Amino acid sequence: MLQLQTYLLLLLTGIMWGGVYLLMASGLNLIYGVMKVVNLAHGDFIVVAGLLAVTLYGAFRAGPALAIPVATLLFLLVGGLVYRGLLARVETTAPQGELRTLLITFGLSSIISNIALLIWGGQYQSVPFFQSAVHLGALFFPESLLVSSLLAFALAFAVQLWLTRTRSGRLVRATAQSELGAASCGLNTGRIRLLTFALGAAMAGAAGALTVVLIPVQAASGGFMTVQAFTLIALGGLGNYLGALLAAILLGVIEVSSSYFLGASAASAVIYVIFILVLIVRPQGLLGQRGRI
Amino acid sequence: MALFQRLRAPRRPIGHALIACLLLIALALSACASSTSGGGASSSAPIRIGFSITETGPQSAPAKFDLQGYQLGADAINAQGGLLGRKVQLVYYDDQGSASTAVQLYQRLITSDKVDLLVGPYQTDLTSAIAPLVTRYKMAMPAMAANLEPFSGRYPYLVQSITQTPRYMIPVIDLAATKGYKTLALLIQDTAFPLELAQGIKQEAAARGIRVVFEATYPADTNDFTALVLKAGAAKPDMIIGATYLADAEGIIRAARASNVNAKLFAFSIGPVEPEFGSALGNAANGILGTTLWFPTLKTAGNAEFVQNFRARFGRDPDYHAAMAYATMQALAAAVKMAGSLDQTKIRDAYLKLDLQTVAGEFKLNNLGQQLGYQSYVLQWQNGKQELVWPPAVATSPVQLPHPNW
Repeated sequence: MLQLQTYLLLLLTGIMWGGVYLLMASGLNLIYGVMKVVNLAHGDFIVVAGLLAVTLYGAFRAGPALAIPVATLLFLLVGGLVYRGLLARVETTAPQGELRTLLITFGLSSIISNIALLIWGGQYQSVPFFQSAVHLGALFFPESLLVSSLLAFALAFAVQLWLTRTRSGRLVRATAQSELGAASCGLNTGRIRLLTFALGAAMAGAAGALTVVLIPVQAASGGFMTVQAFTLIALGGLGNYLGALLAAILLGVIEVSSSYFLGASAASAVIYVIFILVLIVRPQGLLGQRGRI
Repeated sequence: MALFQRLRAPRRPIGHALIACLLLIALALSACASSTSGGGASSSAPIRIGFSITETGPQSAPAKFDLQGYQLGADAINAQGGLLGRKVQLVYYDDQGSASTAVQLYQRLITSDKVDLLVGPYQTDLTSAIAPLVTRYKMAMPAMAANLEPFSGRYPYLVQSITQTPRYMIPVIDLAATKGYKTLALLIQDTAFPLELAQGIKQEAAARGIRVVFEATYPADTNDFTALVLKAGAAKPDMIIGATYLADAEGIIRAARASNVNAKLFAFSIGPVEPEFGSALGNAANGILGTTLWFPTLKTAGNAEFVQNFRARFGRDPDYHAAMAYATMQALAAAVKMAGSLDQTKIRDAYLKLDLQTVAGEFKLNNLGQQLGYQSYVLQWQNGKQELVWPPAVATSPVQLPHPNW
């Protein structure tokens, strides 16, 4: 009985971590799905939003309830500015377009993380919120994990609804399917790309302001977070919303359970072994084209 | 990059090569000139102490304390009349936390700047990287590298000026033995410092009759500690001890609290010693034990004055890194005075013979240059503040144990 309880706990904890990983990856996924741009500064957006939450806590004892809207709005603006100031100014459709955007966002990542280092220093930072346990029957869950994953799944659901049920969402999907086609139907694809990048950045901001209660960040953590997020969306099929959800849950459950049964050092190896296997067997990702934006 | 330059070199017009040769000759001549003039003016020119330090990059926060400790230490030497009748002057560069950069910088310090004395950079990794170079040039160098690897006999000119890693948590085990705790779960980050630290914990635990009932390592980038903490808790240990840094110590406490995993004592190597541990965990930090190598209230020689001067000069409180760096300068001054010259072999021998009371405690080495004198201390978060709790003779507050259930 006790064993069964532990297994259930591991499974649910894994699903919740999946939610957290999904939250951290969904902005990247949206931007790639629509624009075919891998935003290498994504992790740095998350980190700066997290550090901003730490500062807000230090100054006003303000929790995620304030930090999340502030970070979301700030990064909506940052995303818009980055698009207008940088990405809109390079030819992204040319054969070397993807390479150019990679270089630009890589440079941006470097600039952001070093500015963050100047402002916040190199120490790991976190804030004391949602620290208690939530009881579900005899099971205990970290409150921070529960809140983060609920928000993550809600956000994923909302984005899915937006993309499939609203006019602006359909415009975004039309642009994702064929930019040329969308433009020739009279859509302002430049504006749609601007909107997408700003939203993707805002999602990173929200993720950072929330997950800092769970994962301490320092100025240089961004690179690793980008890699984690990219692994997740590549596993699900780049730009694929359902695939990312599936991959997130899979990664979370595998990480937690292999860390329990095989040891924590084996867990990270297991994840990348699975990643490599998926890339060999299904290079288009778990769901591939189905469920694409 | 170097490869490209070599490939391209033959294609350069001959004029460039000629200019390069001339420049080289000029450089060599000027180097000779400066070294002779340096030799001639040795009675009045300052003694130059060289090092690299991580002024920028993710590791820069503790390294800046090291730098300020060195600076204050050099000031103190000059205030007392300098060394061998000469002032001292620091010559340093930013290594950005990169081992290969540190190697280049120490090469430059030794061969181009021709500094008179060396002290070490921040971190064991960087010290290990420059150790062969420093040894090749036979430069005596005190280094704040806690792991024993650079001081295992291969690099006889390096001496250890920080508490050695295996001793970091000995006082925690001593405290536990005093309280009669018998079993221990050990969580170890899978990197060099925590691994060596864990060996020290296990040795001391065995010597004090404490059993290790659970032991596991985890990678540095672990986010979720739930599984680890559940398994540790299943062994029902009296104590959960982590050989950790800051982020993982916080992760373990968060997971233990959320999964309701209890123990009479929670202790971590690095983590609780950082002020961020308290701000990140809030009330959950209270009752947690950590180790530190120095504390502002310690009655070590000149400590109160050091704290006061540090505040006056830099506008913030020193931490243990700063104290260790300041003490390194104290040891350097004593060794040079004992050697009576800048002869590196004599200075090295002087370090090995030193028995000096510094702000960080007693500086005393064995014949391999390993630090035997420096201790470590146990602190505990109480009411949102760090208090020194063990050993009792230096405690600022009585230790609060056992840790209550979450």
